[in-house]
Amino acid sequence: MGENREIQKGVWEGRIPVAFRLSEEDTDGERPEPVYLMVPRISYFPLHTEKINKHFLKYASEKESEEIWLEHDNQPLKWHYPVGLLFDLYGSETSLPWTITVHFKDFPEEELLHCVSKDAVESHFMSSIKEADSLKHRGQVINSMQKRDHKQLWTGLLHDKFDQFWSVNKKLMESSGDETFKYIPYRLYMVDRHYMTNLFRPLTEEGHHQSLKHLLLSAVPQFFNEDEEFQKHVRIHGTEPLLDTPILWLSENFSFPDNFLHLVISDK
Amino acid sequence: MSDDGNESRDSKNTETEEKSTPASPSHVAETKIDVLLKPAGDAPIMKKKKWAVDRNKRIGWVGEFIKKYLKLTAQDSLFLYVNQSFAPTPDTEIGSIFDCFGSDGKLVLHYCKTQAWG
Repeated sequence: MGENREIQKGVWEGRIPVAFRLSEEDTDGERPEPVYLMVPRISYFPLHTEKINKHFLKYASEKESEEIWLEHDNQPLKWHYPVGLLFDLYGSETSLPWTITVHFKDFPEEELLHCVSKDAVESHFMSSIKEADSLKHRGQVINSMQKRDHKQLWTGLLHDKFDQFWSVNKKLMESSGDETFKYIPYRLYMVDRHYMTNLFRPLTEEGHHQSLKHLLLSAVPQFFNEDEEFQKHVRIHGTEPLLDTPILWLSENFSFPDNFLHLVISDK
Repeated sequence: MSDDGNESRDSKNTETEEKSTPASPSHVAETKIDVLLKPAGDAPIMKKKKWAVDRNKRIGWVGEFIKKYLKLTAQDSLFLYVNQSFAPTPDTEIGSIFDCFGSDGKLVLHYCKTQAWG
């Protein structure tokens, strides 16, 4: 347990240096200096951009919209994806800080959802945890929890309190003896397409542990060669886990706070 | 049709058997799934409840469709729930929800005008 705690803490403490710039289209006059922030990988942008929003609004040429949206390299960034997932999908370790452009105008309605307040993030976050628990325990663990436990999961994330979050989250991640997860909550992402997911059991009928490789073989067999070698890269929290890693262990320790494994597949 | 979806629901197959014939994205995009729409709370009943929906249509699209069908205004809120428990984000593909939460070859979605669960 102690060993895993260190890993969970490592996942929790991952940060990405981000340089936020106001878009050129949003200011006629002086373009303000970028704002630099270390943003937690496991968190969501709207929980960190409040001050940036206020600061850049002073320079915005038109004030009709006070809601910001973010973009990197012409790619609008979904606020309801965790920061680390967005970075693994669109960013690069070789070009840091990650440059993100802040927009007020021309909201890309087709691509992004509006985020009216932090309440929207909370609803999304709690809904994801419920979805994950529906897969793992038919929703029985999350539904047996008290309202204050639900709140503690959210405030733990919101205020970056690892112990507060995990003291509740461990109940969602426990699997004792035969009572293991029914299915693994996971999503596979690639640039320019909807994520993939399906039902995947962590154990075979004989009780053998399924690995990350088994999951990938079932979900994206086209990315394996004849010798069953994976021809792409799979990344989570900025690392490439070994393909032999048992998927149950990965789910328990490497899931984002929303209880999903958000795995990014890329060419390099 | 949604061949690989139907059989994987309640069968006790192992995962490898379920996935032995993976569908390519283009194939997946063509197939439709049956969606059963049920009202919750004070939401009005829809005369036609069962609809065939493209797998790649989004939850938000279904929500807009229901609003139009029920002649709700753009200002009216509409919430869609899976398993009477969670609300997928509007940009979620129906197909991926069906794969995980469909049963008996169909996906049941509850709709309501106020937040019903969670």
